[in-house]
Amino acid sequence: MILDSLILQTKLFLQEDMDIEVGDTSIQEVDSDHLSLKQHTSMIGVGGKLNLMAVISFDDKLLNELVTLFMDGEEVEEDEADEVRESVSGEVINTILGLALPTFPNRGKGVTITPPITINDSTTLKKHKNSKILSANIVTNYGDLSISAIGEEIK
Amino acid sequence: MLKVMIVDDSLIIRKKIKKILEKLGHEVVFSATNGQEAIDGYKDNKPDLVTMDITMPDMDGITAVKHIIKDDVDAKIIMVTSHGQEDMVIKSIQAGAVGYMLKPITDDKMAQAIGEVFIEYAVAADDDELDDLLDDEL
Repeated sequence: MILDSLILQTKLFLQEDMDIEVGDTSIQEVDSDHLSLKQHTSMIGVGGKLNLMAVISFDDKLLNELVTLFMDGEEVEEDEADEVRESVSGEVINTILGLALPTFPNRGKGVTITPPITINDSTTLKKHKNSKILSANIVTNYGDLSISAIGEEIK
Repeated sequence: MLKVMIVDDSLIIRKKIKKILEKLGHEVVFSATNGQEAIDGYKDNKPDLVTMDITMPDMDGITAVKHIIKDDVDAKIIMVTSHGQEDMVIKSIQAGAVGYMLKPITDDKMAQAIGEVFIEYAVAADDDELDDLLDDEL
């Protein structure tokens, strides 16, 4: 249910807000104790009545396209390029989670969320032993992204 | 022209809001990335208006609102937030914020939010409404 909501909002965001064509989606419960990441990853912690981490991970080309769209085509100064990219990555997961929250258990009431944290060029994220990882890979014409939920009570 | 302080930990959001404000004819006098910077920036710059993110590292927007209002009860602070944070918006208003905008921020949302706080910048909902008013007058 939580991952389904995240997938739906991700697709709607890409298609309707960013006008990016979305292709196949594949979902898996990750068996191993770690989540494989793409080149650029942002995550938000959800606490309070829910306890989970929402993680979004982008192929480089897709994130670059999102940066272009967020910047309305304006050039990014070289000394700001990394920060802009991280900022866009964080805003995307922030937007998706915000829109998905009302469809979470208890309509997302009583939860707290952290500011997004962005990591680059990391290949894996290791989970706590009792946590489950549910992940979806979404194909677009600019590359793939994965949207994942990590927690003990993920359905 | 209003002097505005933008408070948001996201660079892309600060850029976007700045662009919109300047398009609307206002001046951005300071940008802060967290609540503490916002408190200091408010004291130094005395902006007419503040746009304030809620979820930020080090000090969140609601705490910053409380501090700013404590020093200046007339401070005009509009919260900028994502969907799913409605409870936080209510707390912000209780703390003294005068309005809010939901992301994604657009020119229209900004203009409307400013118009609701500063009557001199109030905008008609759309041209049809204005036309209807004029027809009634004639």
